[in-house]
Amino acid sequence: MAILAKVAFFFYTLIILAGAWWAVTAQSLVRALVGLIATLFAVAGMYLLLAAPLVAFMQLLIYVGAVSVLILLAIMLARAPAGGEEQDPRQPRQYVNALLVLCAPAFALSWVIIKHPPVSRLTPSELPAEALGKALMGPYSLAFELISVALLVAMAGAVLLAFEKRGKK
Amino acid sequence: MNAIPIELIHIVIAIALVAGFVGLNGLVLVWVERKVAGHVQRRPGPYEVGPNGLLQPLADAAKLVGKQLFTPDGSDKLVFWLAPIVSFLPVMPMFLPMPFSPFLTAMEVNVGLVLILAFAGLNILALCLAGWGSNNKYGLLGAGRAVAQGVAYEIPLLLSVLAVCFMTGSLSLTEIVAAQGNWPWQWNWIYQPIAFILYFTCGVAETNRAPFDLPEAESELVAGFHTEYSGMGFGLFFLAEYAEMIVVCGVATALFLGGWKGPGAAGAWWFLLKLYVLLVIMIWFRWTYPRTRFDQLLNLCWKWLLPLSILNLLVTALVIKL
Repeated sequence: MAILAKVAFFFYTLIILAGAWWAVTAQSLVRALVGLIATLFAVAGMYLLLAAPLVAFMQLLIYVGAVSVLILLAIMLARAPAGGEEQDPRQPRQYVNALLVLCAPAFALSWVIIKHPPVSRLTPSELPAEALGKALMGPYSLAFELISVALLVAMAGAVLLAFEKRGKK
Repeated sequence: MNAIPIELIHIVIAIALVAGFVGLNGLVLVWVERKVAGHVQRRPGPYEVGPNGLLQPLADAAKLVGKQLFTPDGSDKLVFWLAPIVSFLPVMPMFLPMPFSPFLTAMEVNVGLVLILAFAGLNILALCLAGWGSNNKYGLLGAGRAVAQGVAYEIPLLLSVLAVCFMTGSLSLTEIVAAQGNWPWQWNWIYQPIAFILYFTCGVAETNRAPFDLPEAESELVAGFHTEYSGMGFGLFFLAEYAEMIVVCGVATALFLGGWKGPGAAGAWWFLLKLYVLLVIMIWFRWTYPRTRFDQLLNLCWKWLLPLSILNLLVTALVIKL
């Protein structure tokens, strides 16, 4: 099984990278979304490899089933014209900026992982959903609550943007 | 080199069986649907091909496979042909944790319910891609409706399922069935009647069946999201819809109707019997009720089903705690 797991790991990594590349370089918004969905799917596969099926299926349920659909709805509502700015040739400065954006989180994350390596094990074991829930409600409750604050801010921001647009008309 | 792991063989066999089951049921359900429709409207339904029209679905299938595949002008070819595939592929994993009987479950997943719900959400995505990719205003309108409807009805569906999970304390369909008794009054539909009705209503809406078939309302939108699809492009959407009906009714059977359990000998036959009764009820709905208007559909969900399901969940949690 170890070889199969490695094959699956490389397969998922390939899809994640290819999907991300496709999403960034695609000439139409919906195609970019297809790339994003492929990436999200492969990330769910990674969670499965870590023996975390609940997280994997939640990833599918929330990100693929709900968030992507809402993005698609937004694209359809906005009726993005086919010849938008995403089809213009890109400036070299944009490539440099993109590279910086890519490197910043990569450096930060790898620094954290090297400084504080998490305890690793050869074969991951599945955690029951109950333990997961207890962890979220117990030691990680602050982080859990902060996420809802982030969602609230996003929602308030969306309402604010919508109101400003309406005032201009 | 060591031998092929047994689980891999197990999954390959299971997927082959599921593919057979889905295909066969597609044929059977088309026949049942047309027969029920016929008798509801006081006509015999298909009658000519085979005894009582039994071979009609095969003829339909041969027709669908034989047709030319058109791609409309100005459509996004990749998105257009990706959509039917995205619609049909998730059907396979959804059958894996389905507990036909304690021995006839393709894969024991202890979060099986979440697996089914996760892959069921992909259908809306497929409808959207189809509607957008067709470069057709009817397709686009159908897709827009599919999103609004699918996103709205998914919430009460999840909440009603959650109420049953609270009672059993498990997300595994096998365990939920095992927690129910042999007799009909020991099944969850007695303890959770509101959740059962909510689940079934939302299930009908999630599979885009009449009276909630707004995304493909033929009197307004020609055929909605699949207007531009010919041959097997349409065939895959069609097969996916029937497979999703089976999944919705199968989950209802496992959650609320005691799954494989029943008076006398428990086994897969009880599961299949309940499954087909629910499927016939779903088909019966389609030919009895007129299509709802779109604002009625959304009002029903946001103003009635959603508060009711939240209330049901709170009461369930309270009763469990007492």
